[in-house]
Amino acid sequence: MSVLSAQKRSPLATTLLLLGAAYCLLPVLWVLIASSKSIGELFSTFTLAPSTHLLDNIVDLNNYRDGLYWRWMANTALYAGVGAAASTLISAMAGYALAKFEFRGKSLVFNLILAGVLVPGVILAIPQYLLLAEVGMTNTYWAVLLPSFISPYGIYLARIFAAASVPTEILEASRIDGAGDWRTFGTVVLPMMRTGLVTVFLFQFVAIWNNFMLPYIMLGNDRLYPITVGLNGLLNQGANQPSMYTAVVTGALVSIVPLIALFLTLQRYWQVDLAAGGVKA
Amino acid sequence: MKTKFAPLMAALTAAALFTGTACSSSSDSSKGATDPAEKVELTYWSWTPNMDKVVAAWNSKNPNIQITVNKQDGGDAAVTKLLTAVKAGSGAPDIMQAEYQKIPTLVSSDALADIAAEVGSVKGKFPAGTWNGVTLGSEAVYGVPQDSGPLMFFYRSDVFEQNGLRAPKTWDDYAAAAEKIHQANPKQYLGTFSATDAGLFTGLAQQAGASWWGVKGDAWTVDINDAATQKVAAYWGGLVEKGVVDNKPMYTPEWNAALNDGTQVGWVSAVWAPGVLDGSAKDTLGKWKAAPMPQWDAAAPKTGAWGGSATSVTTQSKHKKQAAQFVAWLNSDAEALRLLATEAFVYPAANDATSALTSPPSFFADQPDYYTIAGEASKTLAPFTYGPNVNVAYSAFNDAFGKAAESKKAAAFTESLATIQKTTVDDLKNAGFTVAG
Amino acid sequence: MSQSTEVEPSTTAAPRRTATPVTATRRRPARRAGTPYAFLAPALILFTAFLAAPIFYAGYLSLRKVQVSGLGLGSKARTEVWAGLENYARSLSDPDFLPSVGRVGAYGLIVVPTMLGLALLMALLLDANRTREAVSKFARISIFLPYAVPAVVASLLWGFLYLPRVSPITDVVEAVGFTAPNLLSSDLTLWAVANIAVWGGTGFNMIVIYTALRAVPTSLYESARIDGASEIAIAWRIKIPIVMPSLVMTFVFSLIATLQVFAEPMTLRPLANTISTTWTPLMKVYRDAFTRNDIYAAAATSVIIALATFILSFGFLKLVGRRAFNQED
Repeated sequence: MSVLSAQKRSPLATTLLLLGAAYCLLPVLWVLIASSKSIGELFSTFTLAPSTHLLDNIVDLNNYRDGLYWRWMANTALYAGVGAAASTLISAMAGYALAKFEFRGKSLVFNLILAGVLVPGVILAIPQYLLLAEVGMTNTYWAVLLPSFISPYGIYLARIFAAASVPTEILEASRIDGAGDWRTFGTVVLPMMRTGLVTVFLFQFVAIWNNFMLPYIMLGNDRLYPITVGLNGLLNQGANQPSMYTAVVTGALVSIVPLIALFLTLQRYWQVDLAAGGVKA
Repeated sequence: MKTKFAPLMAALTAAALFTGTACSSSSDSSKGATDPAEKVELTYWSWTPNMDKVVAAWNSKNPNIQITVNKQDGGDAAVTKLLTAVKAGSGAPDIMQAEYQKIPTLVSSDALADIAAEVGSVKGKFPAGTWNGVTLGSEAVYGVPQDSGPLMFFYRSDVFEQNGLRAPKTWDDYAAAAEKIHQANPKQYLGTFSATDAGLFTGLAQQAGASWWGVKGDAWTVDINDAATQKVAAYWGGLVEKGVVDNKPMYTPEWNAALNDGTQVGWVSAVWAPGVLDGSAKDTLGKWKAAPMPQWDAAAPKTGAWGGSATSVTTQSKHKKQAAQFVAWLNSDAEALRLLATEAFVYPAANDATSALTSPPSFFADQPDYYTIAGEASKTLAPFTYGPNVNVAYSAFNDAFGKAAESKKAAAFTESLATIQKTTVDDLKNAGFTVAG
Repeated sequence: MSQSTEVEPSTTAAPRRTATPVTATRRRPARRAGTPYAFLAPALILFTAFLAAPIFYAGYLSLRKVQVSGLGLGSKARTEVWAGLENYARSLSDPDFLPSVGRVGAYGLIVVPTMLGLALLMALLLDANRTREAVSKFARISIFLPYAVPAVVASLLWGFLYLPRVSPITDVVEAVGFTAPNLLSSDLTLWAVANIAVWGGTGFNMIVIYTALRAVPTSLYESARIDGASEIAIAWRIKIPIVMPSLVMTFVFSLIATLQVFAEPMTLRPLANTISTTWTPLMKVYRDAFTRNDIYAAAATSVIIALATFILSFGFLKLVGRRAFNQED
């Protein structure tokens, strides 16, 4: 293999990386091309031959039930943004407590949280619905927001980041200066954990953005839907309606654009060492 | 009408007559007669497109009974949500679109309110068989029929002409046409056997004379593996095994492409098919024709149903009376029927629907007798009773016939029915229903 | 490679572990004992309300069932009664259950090694830094991109790419003169579903491994390189052992995700005859709960799946040692 050679650039390495990139980009390329086609062309012209109807399709999507699509996007941003922000703060507090304090029940709490990482969302959805219905909160924004505030995985990560990036000496120094626990947390701990917390935020943001089951069960009013549930509805219209493929395809494309933008702008934060616990900026 | 509810039917008729006379004055003639001062806001779950436009007509005339439509993702999802809400004790809408095959399930879960007192008077405006779907043969009324889906046959008239074929009168004709078309052009199929559409297969079994559920005294009967259904399964299994009809599911991108590029040249579907073809097969506009269903016995034409739903009031509604008033208006008032037909593109179940359906659907603009054919088909709907676990039978159908279709063996088709029968009976017994036989 | 100094001391596991006991002994008992609980309170309250309570409720439901009397049509014809372990017995004896477990096992055997193997390969290639900077950056972003695509949407897109008639793959293969295989036929469905998971997960795991690789001081293998060791030898003998803890963690999280495979086959199901309603155990849960409206059977199967996941993942961690989870005590 040419990797063996000591030359600076390896054509094999380049080829393999580009092959990997091509594989990952193929469906994205497909959706980009498909959303430029009219409904007639979608299944009749060569799959990878682009057309000129992207704007028409976006206009159609925009006109679907008075711009409901944008409302879904806004809802998704609300669920993912608010949910991830609250979840990050809660995870930071819990992770900090688990990493930097000794207290009774610590390992019990930690093991509980680890167990929480393992529970599939599908299993939780119905009991969560039944319990939220008891307090009359189903079919509201809260029904989707509140369950997403808790992220065992986020707490697990925050604990790693707190352990790695908050030196105990600095906490001691802060205490000697007379700062209370909460002030120390706000002025010393949070800034030090900042890089890691952005990662926690991104994780939770993506997790909520991707979540389908919870909003699907909780919401009856389609003005509250996030984008995944909305798109699914466009696809499954029932037997006596044609599936709205162009709307679904264009909607899928438009929906991943903000996430891609988020990834590109914040990509330096996507450097997470799960095992050793550092986030390298 | 032939029915297995004979003992209950007498009671039903008497009760309907009684309630009919009792409340005709309140629910029909005077709008908003129920405490006009009280303003109520009701929610309505429906997956019918543009239902909000139909409802707007009601809202403008009834300022005290305001309806909000929450569009749903099709029947299964909405039923699941409704049942979960009923179990939870809150969260259900006031009014709910309910497919006929789901009504027994919903009733046995105590999700639908009995509105016999409020809407009994509109009974006469619907075909008796359709009305039976909302009463389940009891004296209660669990909704007002909205639309119906009599099966019809759709075909590419240009392809038939090229092959010297005419619309098939019988299933034998259909089989011969399928073979001829596929031999002339191996890429073309007259149809496909879709294992994902249990509703269509049920309609085909209904046409052949099956009635999968029934009531015998105080017990349910399940008859999915009967001779009529066996005949239908053997027929389609034979066509798939021969390779003259396709074995892929409907409603996939592939199927859409096949309709549009002329490789699927026929479709056994229902009266609402033009809407689907309009969306999926735009390039073939003007080439399709609608015909009555191919028959097992041309002398005694019958058809089945695929789709169709009623509008029901849920048990969680605090304004049952007002909700029922709206439900009755929506499905029997002349203006509402016109809006349902022209805005929401449904085929209303009411007898008066013909007056609202004067011109053919735009995809069949060349066929002025479209709704005449549909009307004739409606009259030949074979009786069929749904049971309380239709979903169990349907998902068993998906799995068993999925395997059968993939294997392309006629024997696998007919053997599947025994599996579905057993799964359905076991489920009923397990839940504690009394099952006869 | 620039690293912020605040993180530097703890980037490898070894120094951290030795540091921990020291800091632990230094902790002041003067701190108020309630503080950690106050910091934990919001998380614990939400955990109880939205994870623990639903799980216990599911456990309770799994022991219940609905009893219908007669035709079951009148209101109040249904009552909820105790079922004991009946739901569990039915779930385990369901003829569809074991095959679905076997299928997920096979699926895991395909997905986890392929995904982690690709992720490791790509991370090593990126780390070896033997291509143009632009190529490396482009590849890193492209391979990570699928992580941004929700599983429902990803399956939808791949579904289009799998269907023979509308797939460009078919077009290309046939243009070359071969007969294209039907990717959704019974032989290939498992691979088709696995491919979606590999596509979606490789990038994330690649980033995790790559991050771990970048933490390795270059001095460690600089000398090996001078001694004439090949890049492959360096990767095999130095880099892979160092990132082993990361590999263990990505393995555990991939394993969990594998056992929970749901969205991909669920979205592909209407497209093919080959995916049944009980294709994976979670699909069976979904079918029981949402199609059959039998939440009791669904709850029982859920509990079984949850237990199996616990046993497998904790068992694995026990096997490789708890240090992977960074537990300090």
